[in-house]
Amino acid sequence: MSDWSKVTRPIPVPNEWTRPFWDSAKLNVLAMQRCQSCRHFQHPPYATCVQCMSVDLKFEPVKGGGTIYAYTIMYHTGDKRFASAVPYASIVVEMDEAPGALMAGNLLEAEYTEAKVGRRVEVIFEKLNDDITLPQFRLAR
Amino acid sequence: MWENRCKIVVSGVGYSKVSRMADIPLAAHALEAVKGAVADSGLEMSDIDGLATYPELPATGHAEIDGISVVSVNCMMAMLKLPNLTWHIQVGTTNIGGAVQQATNALLAGVCKYAVVWRAMHNPRGTYQNLPGAQAAGATQFTAPYGFGGPGQGMAVAYTRWLEKNNQTRDKMATLAVTQRKHTQHNPHAYFHGTPLTREDYFASRMVAHPFCLFDCDIPVQGAVAIVLTTADRGRDLKPKPAYLAGYGQRLHFETAGRIGSLSSYMEGGSSSAKLTWERSGFTPKDVDVAQIYDGFSASVIYGLESYGFCKEGEALDFIQDGRIELDGDLPLNTFGGSLGTGRIHGLWHIIEGALQASGRAGSRQVKDANVSFVGASAPIVTGTTFIFVSEPY
Repeated sequence: MSDWSKVTRPIPVPNEWTRPFWDSAKLNVLAMQRCQSCRHFQHPPYATCVQCMSVDLKFEPVKGGGTIYAYTIMYHTGDKRFASAVPYASIVVEMDEAPGALMAGNLLEAEYTEAKVGRRVEVIFEKLNDDITLPQFRLAR
Repeated sequence: MWENRCKIVVSGVGYSKVSRMADIPLAAHALEAVKGAVADSGLEMSDIDGLATYPELPATGHAEIDGISVVSVNCMMAMLKLPNLTWHIQVGTTNIGGAVQQATNALLAGVCKYAVVWRAMHNPRGTYQNLPGAQAAGATQFTAPYGFGGPGQGMAVAYTRWLEKNNQTRDKMATLAVTQRKHTQHNPHAYFHGTPLTREDYFASRMVAHPFCLFDCDIPVQGAVAIVLTTADRGRDLKPKPAYLAGYGQRLHFETAGRIGSLSSYMEGGSSSAKLTWERSGFTPKDVDVAQIYDGFSASVIYGLESYGFCKEGEALDFIQDGRIELDGDLPLNTFGGSLGTGRIHGLWHIIEGALQASGRAGSRQVKDANVSFVGASAPIVTGTTFIFVSEPY
C-alpha cells in the first residue's frame, strides 16, 4: 500500500469562490457548490453556474458516496514530495448527488490496484493543518 | 464553404537543431528556424512584414525568461529588426495553431504580405512538471494536493476512463508508438531520427502515469520550427510549391479550469474545431489522404481520431491497427514522426508536415498522391485547432 506518511502535500489556498468548501471540509463535511436556480452541482467551484449562468450559488452538503469516474496510477517520482508514495492512485470521483461534477482525490486505505473506473468510493477526511482538511476517498464499505 | 479557401498558402519551412538540453539560448534556436523558413521560401528577411507566435512554456514551476525559456514576439522583433514590419500578434487560447490562424486572417485582411510563425520550446533543467510550491492556489487547490502536477496526469485519467469505458487495453497503443517511430526515421530533423523503437521496447518501458509509459509521452527538448505564410498569388511566385489552406477551425468548448478527467472536454473540443474545418473546406474525413494529429501524449491521437470524425467513439485503438497508419496505409498518420518522434515542439511541426505532404515536399516519407492533408495541431482539449491543406486550389 502507498506510504503517505512522508508525503508533504501542497496546501490548498481558499479564495472567495472556494472558502465554503474548505470551511465545511474542516468540519468533516463534503459540501459542493450548487446553483440555487437550476439545482445543478458543479466542481471545481466557479463564479457562475456553468449550466444556467445564474450567480446564485451556495454550498450544500452531499452524503459522500460516489463512483470512480477516472484514475491514474502515478509512478513518476519527479516531485520528490510524493516520491515515497509511488506508485499511488490519483482518482477522479463523480459524487452521487452531483453527476458531471468531477472531484479529484487519492484512493486511500487500499492497494493502488483497487482503483478501477466505476468502483464505489466514499469520502474520508485528511487533516493537513489547523486550517485545511482535505477530502479524500476510500473504497465504499 | 469558406469564401477564403485556398487564398492563403504555407510556403517555406525551417527547423533549428533539436537537442535534449540547451547549448545556446532558445532565442538562437528560434532565429535559426525563422531564417531557415525565410530562405526555404526564397525570400529575404526584409520581405517579412508579419510575426506571430504562441510563446508559452508548458512546463510548470519554472521561470519564464524571454529569449531563454520562451521566445516572444518582442524578442523576435528585437533580433530581426524588420524594416518593413506591419503586423504582429501573440495568441493565448489556441496554442500555436491560433497564431497560424491569426496570421492567415492578417494576410486576408491585407495588413501584411509575408508572415512568419514560429514555435520555440525550452527544456528546463530538473523536473519538467513541478507541483506548485508549498501552497496550491487557484484551480490547483483541487488537484495538486492529490499529486496532480501537469497535463500528463490530467491526460492519463481521461485515458483510463476511455480505456475502461470502451473495454480496451493500452497494449494496442504500441502500434502508434512503433509506427510513428518508423516514420521518424524519414525525418532527419527529429530528435529520435536514428533511434528505432520496437514493440518489445514499448512494453518493457517504465510506467510514468498509468496508462502512459515512457513512450506514450513526447520527450522534452530544446528547439524551434517556423513557417512562412503568404497569399496564394504571392506564394505561387516563390521557390517552393505552396500548400493551400482549404479551411481551419478552433475548439469552441471549455469546461471550468481545474476540471480534470472529463472525456467530453476532449471530444467536444475536437468535434467543434473539426466541424468548422470540414464545413469551411467542403471535405469530410473520408476525403483525407494523410493526417497529422497532435500526440504530445499518445492518447491525444485517440481523442483526435474520434472527435474529428475519422472513426467512431471507442474505436480509435482498433482503427490504427493493421497498417492503416503506415505511409502506404489508408490513413498515413503523423508521417513526420509526430511529437513522439521529433520531441516536444508542440503543433507547428504537425502543421509543417501537413503542408509539406500537400505540396509534395515530404521527401522519402511523402504519401503518394496526397491531396487532402488534415492537421489537428494540438490536443482537442483547451487549445485545439484543426487545418486542411491541399495541393491545388479547387
